[in-house]
Formats: sequence, structure tokens, C-alpha cells
Amino acid sequence: MRRVFDTQLIGPFAAMVIVALIVALTTDRFLNPGNLSNLSLQVSIVALIAIGSTIVIFAAGIDLSSGSMVALLTMILAQMLKFMDLPLALAIPLILIIGASLGLLLGLITAYGRIPSFITTLAALIAFRGLALTFNNGSPIFSLDPALEPIFYGKLIGIPLPFFYLVFFYGLAAFTMNFTKLGREIYAVGGNPAAAVLTGINVRKVQATTFVIAGFMTAVGAVLMAARLNSGSPNYGQTLELQAIAAAVVGGASLAGGRGNILATLMGAMTIVIVQNGLNLNAAPSSVQNIVLGVIILLAVGIDMWRAEISALMARIFRRTPKAQTASEKKAA
Amino acid sequence: MPPGGETPPFGPSGENKAMTAPIPLWEFVDVSKAYPGVLANDRVCIKLLAGSIHGLLGENGCGKSTLIKTLSGVQQPDSGQILFNGQPVVISDPQAARQLGIATVFQEFSIVPTLSVGENIFLGNMPRSRFGVIDWKKVHADSAAVLAELEVDIPTEAITGSLSVGEQQLVEIAKAVAMDARMIILDEPTAALGEDEIERLHGLLRKMRDRGVAILYVSHRLDEVERIVDEVTILRNGRVVRASGETKINVSEIVSAMVGEDIAEHYPKERNATQEVVFEARGLATNAGVTDVSFTLHRGEVLGLGGVLGSGRTEIARALFGTDDLTAGEVRLNGRKVKFRAETDAIRAGLALVPENRKFDGLFFNFRASGNITAASLGGLARFGVLDLKAEEKGTRDLIRDLEISSQAEEKTVNFLSGGNQQKIVIARWLFSDAQVLILDEPTQGIDIGAKIAVYKLINKLTRAGKSIILISSDHDELLAMSDRIAIVQHGAIKRTVNAAELSHDDLVRASADPIDHNHRHPEEALA
Repeated sequence: MRRVFDTQLIGPFAAMVIVALIVALTTDRFLNPGNLSNLSLQVSIVALIAIGSTIVIFAAGIDLSSGSMVALLTMILAQMLKFMDLPLALAIPLILIIGASLGLLLGLITAYGRIPSFITTLAALIAFRGLALTFNNGSPIFSLDPALEPIFYGKLIGIPLPFFYLVFFYGLAAFTMNFTKLGREIYAVGGNPAAAVLTGINVRKVQATTFVIAGFMTAVGAVLMAARLNSGSPNYGQTLELQAIAAAVVGGASLAGGRGNILATLMGAMTIVIVQNGLNLNAAPSSVQNIVLGVIILLAVGIDMWRAEISALMARIFRRTPKAQTASEKKAA
Repeated sequence: MPPGGETPPFGPSGENKAMTAPIPLWEFVDVSKAYPGVLANDRVCIKLLAGSIHGLLGENGCGKSTLIKTLSGVQQPDSGQILFNGQPVVISDPQAARQLGIATVFQEFSIVPTLSVGENIFLGNMPRSRFGVIDWKKVHADSAAVLAELEVDIPTEAITGSLSVGEQQLVEIAKAVAMDARMIILDEPTAALGEDEIERLHGLLRKMRDRGVAILYVSHRLDEVERIVDEVTILRNGRVVRASGETKINVSEIVSAMVGEDIAEHYPKERNATQEVVFEARGLATNAGVTDVSFTLHRGEVLGLGGVLGSGRTEIARALFGTDDLTAGEVRLNGRKVKFRAETDAIRAGLALVPENRKFDGLFFNFRASGNITAASLGGLARFGVLDLKAEEKGTRDLIRDLEISSQAEEKTVNFLSGGNQQKIVIARWLFSDAQVLILDEPTQGIDIGAKIAVYKLINKLTRAGKSIILISSDHDELLAMSDRIAIVQHGAIKRTVNAAELSHDDLVRASADPIDHNHRHPEEALA
């Protein structure tokens, strides 16, 4: 918790590098600059949404609503731009506020209504998708605003803009989780809510706040999604919530709450996208991609759960006997 | 299930012709077990005789749990032999231990709270009818027979979770009897029991012993060890420092053998009470059973709440802390009337509660000691929401050294620490905060004697700093020694308040042991 770059990052980082190496060995197109640039575009939306999903998970909650919320928000944005003629500079902040407000609503229902977040956000997953269909008779809205696309495809000093969004938001999230009172309280609530109550932490407020963050980050992802295709559609963001949760889990966040590093989620998201990219480049069908994604999630959690057994096995292989301990160590144990 | 017929009969009579001493039912010969970095059992030898209650004592981390785990088949020793009736055996897994007649009652019960008593007693071994369907009549008839044999009056249809903790413990033991156990291991069996329940448990154990069962009894409460055990083995740093027969079963001798030094002052009480009234309760009542609670608390004072389990002491703590709503009465802090709608209000006003169950309600196992210590003081450490991590590290490091908390606490999360270290950290949290009034609910439960003394010193430190303490403890000696005044609690009311110095142990027991009604309570309902 003390260091931003701690040992929790080693595993997810190693996983990402190994996966990248394997993909690079199977196809020479992987390391092509065009592909790498494309990769950062591909990862950006899920990685930004995963910030919110991960912070909710840190507080021992779960957010299943983000994929549907993306669809709903792209439709609202499209409505604003196409039919209400709002300027982009007004529409985007409004979308961010609406996203955060929807998050607040889910957070209030969960924290103060005492409904488990799994249920609250499952209901939202279904309802938001339905709500998205009520706009424009359920049809996608295209060609929103010529100024929208550069938000996603634009470059600064030759680097795609989404790269900077990632740096900014992950930097902010890492700062919040590691250096602020709010971050500490989120970890505390996820670690032991009963103890958090007895130390004077406003547990419900903290829980609700994590959903506000998640709603806001989902809105950021929705703006990028709309910009990417210059359109809004009630079909956008299918299974995006699961990919975001998968990124958190592959990054080592404990679904029980309280443990994990937000930067590891970025690595988790990269790992997943690299695998998908590698399968794409090797012309694997999407069915295979889903199967592989499932296996990766199991492996990521499994390696974490079987850590003791794996290190015992390693010890046996390398015939390492336990060190003789000093008296003080023994006392401490 | 009893083992095969070829094993020799057991019993204290000693049927072996060659020796006069009976063959132990179970014997450990030079058993060692290492964990990475720690030699938890170092050539341990212990003999467990049929028909004898054997006390296993030692401080936290001395290797008791390791020994128990080895005997119950949870883990394998690295070296050494385990003899069963003189024959070497391997206890490959918990299933094998059960087959060999070993039943273990762990600190955390292994009963299923949502099932009936009868189901729990035969769990995993349900009698079945011819068609493979569970024979419910037989389940209840047989379990009723077991309970009757033990003279335990609990209906077999009762849902186990609705029983008192003491009764649940008796169900655990009935379970051992039903499986025909010849070796029963009890790990801290009385940690959650009141006096009369302890008596009942001890009566049951004596009965089992007289039937030829071997009992291994682990406890931190030395007074009761003195009452119940026939012989005692003491471990320190993984080694046997006193084998049975070497130490008289006498508290002070046991303590010095455990700690490895003579402990001159068991209760290092400092008197720091002043005349200034900090906190006052007048006629408090709640729907949770608090009926009439009035007292004053002075700056630097320790006010003990004396009473039996179920007398309403924890409920009083909940009322003071804003967990339960007051239906009558008022609370004054520094002369001003205050009203706590929730725990956060109480904490903001300067109250603190160190709960009875530090594992469930106290610690953040995902934090190191520093995060645990500062959890209640984050506001003071933050400027514009940003924490001063340097100040946190420094402040907590000093406190960790000062309180002699293991230095591992600085680097590792608290789940790696012993119970004593954990408890010190939970209390240190309030030393670090601005809290004026601390409610300590059973602060020394389940921790060893060395850690207990450290907690007492911590109480002194708190009162010296001008903080006031409400102490709840089932350990009468501790309550008498560490309190300035004692309020006697019965049926959720404070009957009277007396100077601790004017009260003897017997007075306290008699005063608090008014017959209580046996309404069934859930064990340690978590605050929240």
C-alpha cells in the first residue's frame, strides 16, 4: 500500500511481457508500429473503464453495469449532438456528469439501500441497455460531429491521444489510491467493513463514492467509444463490463476486496488486449478468442490462489531447506 | 468410527507385561516441523495417556498449534515418530485421524450453524436407511442418546446457531463422543464461555476422562488449567521446556516456565485517575436489553464492568457507542450532552471501542501495522485529502517499537502476526488517535501471558496520557487488578459501583453471579 510500484505489479507485468513475447513469436506483424499504435487505441476504452471497475472491487463491490452504461451514454451523446445541436464542449462534460450521476444512483442503492452491488448493477446492466433502446427508436445514430473523431484518433507529438488519457487517469487513480485519505478508506472498507465502521470511516459514503468514480470512468469510455465510430448505438459495449472486471482480476485485484494495485489493472487490460490482438493477427475466430480469455482469467486467479503450492513445489525442485531462524524471528512467529 | 480390531485395548490399566508404566495412547517421539523461516516444533516428545487430561501450554507462537495440527492429520511432521499404542503410525490426513479415534475441537468451531444439533452430531456420518436415505428418526434418537449420556439438556432439533456459544461447544464434544473418539483435542475451549458454562464443560471432560478417553487441553486461562488438568506439558520456542511430571500444576510455576523468566508483577497497575469527570451516563436504556445504566468516568480512570457472560456488558458498550439507539437516558461528554446516532458520531466525539472479536471487527488484514494504527486518524494525517505518509511511517514506527510489537509488523500485513501483536495494534490505534474514552471489550482474550502484560502496560500508558477506559473482562483477577472502580452489571443494569481495592475476587464472583435467564443468544453479534 505504501509504494505505488510494489511487488504486486511484478506478476501482472511478467504475465504481460510473456504474453507479448509469445504473440511476437507467432507473427511478425505484432511489433509493426502500426499494430502497436492500434493496440493502444484498442486497450484505451476497456482500460479506462477498468479503473472504475477496479476501485469498486477494492471496496469489495462489483460493477456489472459499465457495458450497458456505455451504450446508454453514447445514445444520449448522439441525441445531444445530432438532434439538440449542443456544442461538443458542452455535451461531453454533460455526459461525464450524467455518468457520475448514474454511478451515484447505483452507489446509493447499494450502500444505503443495502442491496448487494452484484444485484444493483446486474439490474442496471439490463435496464440501461433497455433505456438505450428508447432513443431514436432503438436505431444507431451516425455522423455525430466532425470534431468528435479526433478525440479518439488525434495525435500529439506523434503519439495517439488515448495514450495520454491512460497516463492521466491511471496517474490520478494511482495517486488517489496510494496517497489520499479516500484511497486508504476504500482499501479499509474492502478489507474489513465491520472494522471500518468501528474506526469511524463512513463506510456507506465510501462505497457510494466508488460507484461515482466507476460511473465517471464509464462516461469517459463512452465518449471515446462514440468518438471512435462517430456514432451512438444501443449495441455498443457488449461484455465490456466483463472485460473490465477481467482486467482487474488478471491484474491481481482480490474480488473479496481490500487488495490489489490499480496500475496492475492497466497491465491486466494490456495482457487481455495483446492476446486478442495476437489471435486476430493469426486469424483465429472470435469463438477461440473468448475461450482463451476465459482460460486467462482462470489462470490469473489460479496462480494467485496456488501461490503457496507453487512455491513449495519450487522449493522441492531446488531442494531448498528452510533457513534456521533467529530467536527474535521465532518469537515474532 | 473405531479402528480395526487388531489394535490393542486402551485404558489406564496398562496391560503391557514388560513395563509398569502404561503405554501411552499416543506418543510423539522427537517430532519436528519447520515452516519457511521457523522451526515450529523442535524434537517434541509428548505422551498422551488414556484417561488423563493433559494440558498443553505456552505462549502464542510456541508451537502448540503445530503440534495439534500434526496430531489431527492436517500436516505431516518433517521428522520424528508418532506412536499409537506403542506402534508407529502415519496420520496421513484428517480423515485418517478420525479413523484412529482422534477428534479435534478447534477454536473456530466446525459445526454448521444452520443445521440442527442432531445433524451436526452425525455430520459426515449420517445413519441411513436401507434405501440410502438419511434415517432421520435414528439421527435424532442416537444424538439424543449421546446428549443424555453426557447429561446435556439440548433438544436435538434445535438449530445449532441459535444456541449459546457454550452450548455449541458442548455439541462439538457430543460430536466427538458420537464418533467414538478416544483422543479429544480441545484448542482454547473456554475462550468464549462464561463461568457456569466452563464448569459444565469441565464436568463433561472429567466424565470423558473417567471413561478412558485421552484429552489434550490447550488454554491461556491458567486458573482453569490448574483446576482441570492432570498433567501438563509446556512449550517454548517450539521445544518442550517442561514435560509432564516436571512441573507442579501451579500457576506461578507454569507462568515462569512458559515465559522463561520469573514474572514479578502480573498486573502492573498504575493509578492515574483524577477527579475530573469526562464522561457520564444517566439512566440509559435500549431495546437490546440495557435497562438502567448510570455511571461517571473520570479522566485517567479505568472503570471495570463486572458481570457474567450475558449480563449485558457488551450491550452497554453498544448503547454508549451509538450502535443501538437509546430509548431513555442521556450521555454527557465533558459536561455537554451528546447524542450519537451512529458509531461515526461517537468516534468523532472522542469515543473508541476495541471490540471483543479483533479478527472480525478490529483488524484490517490487508494493511500493515501502520495502516491499522492510523485507520482512525486519517483526518489528522491528511491535508486536502492527501495523506502525509512520512508522518504516518514515523509515528507508527515509534509506536511499534515503544509497544514492543514485532518488527515484522513494519513490513508485513498483520495476518502474519501473533494474536498478542495484533491486539496491541488494535489498541495502539486509539493511542494514536484523539480518543478520550476507550471501551475495551475483553482486550486480553486468547492472548498469552506476555502479551497480556503488554496490554496492561498499554492501559497504563493510555490513562497516563489522560484517556479514560471502560474495561470489560471475564477474567475476574484482571478486572480487579486493572480497574480503579468496578460497576457490577446484572440484567443490563449497573447495580452498584465500588472501588476495586475494596472488592475481593469472591465478592466480585458472588456479586455478579446472580442467576441469569438463559435466553439463547447468538455468539458475539458483530457490531455494524
